[in-house]
Amino acid sequence: MAGQVNIAGLSWDITIPEVLSGTQRWVLSAMQKHGPELVTMLWRILANEQDVCDAYQDTFLKLAHYESGQKPQYVRAYVFRTAANTALSMLRHKIVERKRVQMLQIQNTTNTGLDLNSGLLQEKLRSCIARLPKNLREIVTLHDLAELPYRQVGRILEITPATARVYRCKAIRLLAAWMNKSENQI
Amino acid sequence: MKTQQKNRRCKDIKNRLFKALSRQIGPDAVWVQRHIASCPRCRRRLLRTSRVSVAMQLLKSQPHSLDLLARANNKAVSVLKHSLRYSDKAQKLKVALPEPTIFERLRKYRSAAVNVAACVTILLLIKTGMFSSSIKFQNDGNNALHNYYASRVGDEIADEIFPI
Repeated sequence: MAGQVNIAGLSWDITIPEVLSGTQRWVLSAMQKHGPELVTMLWRILANEQDVCDAYQDTFLKLAHYESGQKPQYVRAYVFRTAANTALSMLRHKIVERKRVQMLQIQNTTNTGLDLNSGLLQEKLRSCIARLPKNLREIVTLHDLAELPYRQVGRILEITPATARVYRCKAIRLLAAWMNKSENQI
Repeated sequence: MKTQQKNRRCKDIKNRLFKALSRQIGPDAVWVQRHIASCPRCRRRLLRTSRVSVAMQLLKSQPHSLDLLARANNKAVSVLKHSLRYSDKAQKLKVALPEPTIFERLRKYRSAAVNVAACVTILLLIKTGMFSSSIKFQNDGNNALHNYYASRVGDEIADEIFPI
């Protein structure tokens, strides 16, 4: 980044590092670098384009205001964790709202084929993921929805890849049990 | 440097072990499949897990609209500082489209690259094999003649005619 200073009555062009310049150009760099992956992850969690845009905006707003505009040490980790948490809290709100009208919907809809079943299955999975304990939820979100390898997930969550594998296994077992239960209930 | 190499080797071995073990005791192993076929309890368990993986695949297979990234960037940029909002980078982000990663772009060339690598390997093997074999035969022949003359006319003359 270039800047101008006046020394001895002359203006000098100097180069200022992005982090120190206070212009926060690194926010845009982070957006450019991690944006596509983030949008994919948010889309898979929320399945609504407006919600994806809201969660995305919220994530970068938080990043820009992190400790009065300071650059976090691990931008990638910060961005992914913030986006996942924002999206999941939005998802939980949606689930609560949906539950109010759920009974009515079930009465009005009939099982018309594969499309409806696949939609229901996805919704069920989303609501089950939102119910998972935090540590397991983060693994499923980052490894399965954002498709990050265990090594990167471990680095983001500050755990070993082996622990991430164990958490994921537990998460899948829980999801399987819950999804089966809700299937039987319906 | 040596520690790094050692760590890399450890990681490599660990990954190989994991893959080998997965093949032996994973859900696709023959003995596991055979057991599942005859055990209703395990079948139910596998069915439950399969339901999760099917749902996960369905989630992943749903595409979003092509301009979603641009719209999301637009919205995010609109709440940033004035100086950032009107920078060149921000303007580019506002019209950004999702692009496949370099690995995804190169995926279509993977089979061709594998074939070429296989051909090169075969050629190298043939070439090195042929050369080393011919040198070996030549040496063996020289030795045999040297031994023959050494036994008949003595070592000195044999060394002169067939130096080793």
